[in-house]
Amino acid sequence: MAADELTLLSIAEAGERLRRRTLSPVELTRAYLARIQAEDGAARCYITVLQDQALAAAAEAEQEIAGGGYRGPLHGIPIALKDLVMTRGIRTTCGSRILKDWVPDADATVAARLTEAGAILLGKLNMHEFAYGPTGVNPHYGTPVNPWGRDRMPGGSSSGSGAAVATGLCAGALGTDTGGSVRIPASLCGIVGLKPTYGRVSRAGVIPLAWSLDHIGPMTRTVTDTALLLQALAGHDPADPSTAAIAVPDYRRALDGDARGLRVGIVREVFFERLNPDVRAAVEGAVRALEGLGVRVEEIRLPRIHHAGPATFAIITAESMAYHEPYLKTRASEYGADVRARLLTGQFVLATQYLKAQRARQVLRAEVDGVLTTVDALLLPTTPIPAPRTDEREATVDGAREDVRAWLTRCTRPINLTGHPALSVPCGLTADGLPVGLQLVGRHFDEATLLRLGRAYETVSPLRDRRPSLPA
Amino acid sequence: MASVSKELLHTIAEALAQVPVDPTDLLSIGAQLGAQLDGLAKLDDLDLQSVEPATVILPPTGAPHGR
Repeated sequence: MAADELTLLSIAEAGERLRRRTLSPVELTRAYLARIQAEDGAARCYITVLQDQALAAAAEAEQEIAGGGYRGPLHGIPIALKDLVMTRGIRTTCGSRILKDWVPDADATVAARLTEAGAILLGKLNMHEFAYGPTGVNPHYGTPVNPWGRDRMPGGSSSGSGAAVATGLCAGALGTDTGGSVRIPASLCGIVGLKPTYGRVSRAGVIPLAWSLDHIGPMTRTVTDTALLLQALAGHDPADPSTAAIAVPDYRRALDGDARGLRVGIVREVFFERLNPDVRAAVEGAVRALEGLGVRVEEIRLPRIHHAGPATFAIITAESMAYHEPYLKTRASEYGADVRARLLTGQFVLATQYLKAQRARQVLRAEVDGVLTTVDALLLPTTPIPAPRTDEREATVDGAREDVRAWLTRCTRPINLTGHPALSVPCGLTADGLPVGLQLVGRHFDEATLLRLGRAYETVSPLRDRRPSLPA
Repeated sequence: MASVSKELLHTIAEALAQVPVDPTDLLSIGAQLGAQLDGLAKLDDLDLQSVEPATVILPPTGAPHGR
């Protein structure tokens, strides 16, 4: 197999070859590094590439595997991290000018867990500055290129993660998701992204945007690969008191079950209002495909979910401002204009509004919990519109003109508020050839059912085996 | 969308929050706030009087930028 083709293998496929020793970690890592060297100047997915370190880790993995020390399905797999995950001795910029030279002296728990599983760190990925934006446009490091439309936004804030996975510049990546920042770039770049349950994956050592809304999740080319990464990441961490001491199931085993008999609820209010027609057609097509797999689909109601938007606004603005205030007092000019204005908005949100939002959150969480006693998952679009052009500030659907940031987050941020797990899976292309994401939302700590449903759908998705036209 | 004056925002920033705000940012801040104020007021429709706020887990000390 040509080196370039190795970079398009799934983690599961590459892992099986590594386990059988028909592929070496060094060969695979070299293939990714060569592709990064050839493509990333234009793709702008990486802020830092760790060529020497990655090759050294790959050589170590090769020796371990040859010596009978195979650790599991991530051993020897080249991955990359969004550049707000702390990495010991490696700069962690958060996509900002303010932290451009910051070198942490410790690894985030998620980085350490991937290293323990034997993954090879290729580098640190570009992102929306300080994770505060769904477009992925970055004034300091450039905007990663969406391989499905080179003039289109990759989505954010995990923009480098989405674009790198879609472009074959890493086998899988981590993103973070405060209002949709894993699921939005996954949807816009045509890959799989999972926001796990709040408390499922440790956030220790990850630079926060809004503590009570932040989640960390895997971004990959297949649902199976997402399951493999989640297996390594999930579980209680004493360093993050928000993580739950709840047993972690065998996610790969969960993939074996078919979807027949599962019940899925469609929520029309908010999530299906004012959809781009091609997005609507792709999601409705996914509904029919799931029904063809024996899934029972029914309409359900969440009559109060429209309160999620303003509640999330109050929480994210207040919490992010609280974290950034010291920088804003002394180094405001070093922020990009859009992120600075969004952060400063937090000082005008009243404490009473913040607390009301945290109370509303309990009500909305209970409402979603309630419907999830009658269905196994909710089915929603991930984004109401496909990837906008990178210079687009507003978009119009059904005569309604809004800021693209509002469009992109409308279907994702309610789920940050309620903390439920949510999986985005590619479900089709628009007439312009842009990917559409299907979002599945499950019960707290029941990522296994989402993965099972997502995997079953993936086998019949019109985007299965479809890839963007990548440079040779 | 509610209208929020730049003068009011400037006064709050300087006098209450004590965070300097560039006047060029105030237009965008006013627009963001204005778009949400009606929705924030309507949170009262949820009858929150018997509801406690969700607990915010605070980060442990020790990491300068992380948790």
